[in-house]
Amino acid sequence: MAQKPPTQPDDGHVAVSIDGHETRVPKGTLVLDAAAGLGIHIPIYCAHPKMEPVAVCRMCLVHIERFPKPQPACATVVADGMAVTTDSAEVTKIREGMLEFLLLNHPLDCPVCDRGGECDLQDFTFRYGPSVSRFPITEKVHFNKAVPLSEHIELDQERCILCWRCVRYYDEITGEKEIVLEQRGVQTLVTTFNEQPLRSSFQGNLPEVCPVGALTHRQYRFVSRPWDLQRTAGVCPECSYGCNLNVDSRDFEIRRFASRDNPLVEDMWLCDRGRYSFPKWNSTERVRRPAVRPRAGRARDTAVGEAIAAAANELRAVIDAHSPSAIGVMGSAESTNEELFLLQRLARDVIGTRNIDHQLGSFDGITSEEHALGIAEIEECDALVVLGVEPEEEAPVLTLRLFKAQHKRGRRVHRVARDADPAGVVKAMGATTLTGVIADETNREHAVLVATALARKGAVRRMTVTRGVNGRGAKDLGVLPNVLPGYRAAPPGGKNGREILEAAAAGAIHALLITGPNAALERAGELLDRALQRAESVIVVETRPGKVASAATVLIPGHAIFEKLGTVTNIEGRVQRVRPALPPAAQTPSDTRVLAALAAELGAKGWERSDPMSVNRALREAVPAYAEAGSGGRALWTAERVA
Amino acid sequence: MTLGPETRAEIERARGRYPRAQSAILPALWAVQHEVGHLTPDAMTEVASLLEVTPSEVEAVSTFYSMYFQRPHGRHEVLVCINVSCALRGADGIVDHLTRTLGCESGSTTADGEFTWSSTVECLGACGGAPAMQLDHRFEENLTPDRVDAILARARNGTSAGAKRSVRQRRDR
Repeated sequence: MAQKPPTQPDDGHVAVSIDGHETRVPKGTLVLDAAAGLGIHIPIYCAHPKMEPVAVCRMCLVHIERFPKPQPACATVVADGMAVTTDSAEVTKIREGMLEFLLLNHPLDCPVCDRGGECDLQDFTFRYGPSVSRFPITEKVHFNKAVPLSEHIELDQERCILCWRCVRYYDEITGEKEIVLEQRGVQTLVTTFNEQPLRSSFQGNLPEVCPVGALTHRQYRFVSRPWDLQRTAGVCPECSYGCNLNVDSRDFEIRRFASRDNPLVEDMWLCDRGRYSFPKWNSTERVRRPAVRPRAGRARDTAVGEAIAAAANELRAVIDAHSPSAIGVMGSAESTNEELFLLQRLARDVIGTRNIDHQLGSFDGITSEEHALGIAEIEECDALVVLGVEPEEEAPVLTLRLFKAQHKRGRRVHRVARDADPAGVVKAMGATTLTGVIADETNREHAVLVATALARKGAVRRMTVTRGVNGRGAKDLGVLPNVLPGYRAAPPGGKNGREILEAAAAGAIHALLITGPNAALERAGELLDRALQRAESVIVVETRPGKVASAATVLIPGHAIFEKLGTVTNIEGRVQRVRPALPPAAQTPSDTRVLAALAAELGAKGWERSDPMSVNRALREAVPAYAEAGSGGRALWTAERVA
Repeated sequence: MTLGPETRAEIERARGRYPRAQSAILPALWAVQHEVGHLTPDAMTEVASLLEVTPSEVEAVSTFYSMYFQRPHGRHEVLVCINVSCALRGADGIVDHLTRTLGCESGSTTADGEFTWSSTVECLGACGGAPAMQLDHRFEENLTPDRVDAILARARNGTSAGAKRSVRQRRDR
């Protein structure tokens, strides 16, 4: 019998003892979590940290003093003086019994199961289960194996242990309710209505909520064992939301993206667009060799040093013949902060041009409210206004955060037209103390109108959904004609992306320095063609072959996002680290080193330390908001800082 | 396919009886089964839209209960009790007789589509009149082969409307 802990004054905590270890936990804590806090493992199947308890799997039954029967640790809230036992003979017997039950009709096909090696059924059976079953293996009830639920998900009905997690995921996290349990008793099956394929944009989370090998990724079918994968923490490159993920690679190829729970960002849920996008990073269609292709003269592959020297010569020639403003610089929203910071320094301080941008349209005047709303803070707003469908199309996981705010926190979510009448929005909102306004970066001006109208009723915070994994970083760090790093005003006269291309096509800009890949640039279409054709010199640091790479007069291979170290900034200003998960496809120095070498060729001093970490230190010195954000925190802008 | 106005009205009424729409799925499915004879995916989709729940929730409920039919059934339903009291009073003979006269095994439908019968149901709770069976929701008790023949002949000549009425009366009590 555990001793009753001494009573203490009420501080919102209660004292509990688990296996004789005493602890104080906040009221309302589940026995499961209190035990975890003490390092005591209780096996669970149906319980999930992001879902409400249901206590259907009975795997977590523990003995609690003065309770007549064992209690589910996943659904029992601690009480003061509670004494829990998880290591008694009684609990051991329960666990063995539950596992024997779960394995009654389980096919035991671990050797061919994708989940083998990271399966809770396998692991708990090994750790807590009986070593033999009293049930003959020849008398199992069989179900369908390899049922495709959609183009992404495969269901093995015999492996399912009916924990309800997938059903609850669709119920509590996405609200789409696509999966249900049908039939009953031993015949119970996970399925969809009338066997229709899943339509959700968030299906890829299902194999991760499944504790066994019932729901698996079709893309990962028979691909690898988990222990053969090399795991690198990363950030999803598909949009600017900044979902944390694990890059699982094997033999220098990415085999899957797995979630890496950051409650402040994606809350462990990835969208299918992001999760299943990884094959493109394994593409062998890459720029691999530096090349020099003068307009007059013979094109040839060359060493990287020679290419950098040639680039410097071409730039110097344009500066000498015309002026620095005859050079246009285009950065990319897919570059790291370190590369972008160096690029704008190269453009402004070394080349001396004001023509620098990373996108086509202009990005005028930033206010401190622009990025005030954080992703997790969405849940704290009484009401949220989403302007148009673009924010959620651009950053799909935003939808799940809005759903959580609405259904778990009881917040009001108003999805209105992109150009909704501000007065109408105010009227529809009713009384609020804090409203969140979410808009796409192409709709900033209208968001200001709506926010201003709403501000008369209460506080308003805005979120701007930027484009490109590091679209926010490109703006913060001044890869724009009108602002310097930290949104300090730039000297006037700089051309934006479209103006740069127009000037190049008209022959007013003679040289282009482009770092890629740049999706925005490719949207310029025919204008881009004319600009690339007309410019005397096109210096390109690029990863993918294409229009820009083939028009280059000097081409230097770049490193893709999973091949380099650096930081990227998400839509809420969170500065997150990216790390090399793959070796670079090209045997050239990193982009930061290439930029620094180019600066040195152009005669700049003090660019010796050009590894990403050194550049990051310089960046933090130049932009205090980034120093405060550190790694994983948010870069926040105050009115004074922007002024 | 569209449900008849009467069935739709019945579903609307059921919706009004419960605080949560999910609770009305059971009576709504009864209404559909009485009209259509079994539960089709189209009908379940229609129930879902009437109750503002998802079709998958409706299907989950419909498959949980064995008395909702997922496949077409005969015009009449015969359930024969073979639990203790009925067994002691000769239920086996009734089952044999039905197998012979209907010309099909328990759990299947006669060739003419008149009867779907089953002897694998649990106790009907009619021990006082054992052996007993249930025809379209009505108890038939103290069965003998002759009585069974007479009951089936009556059903064959009538319609299944009787079944609808009896269920409604029971539910509206």
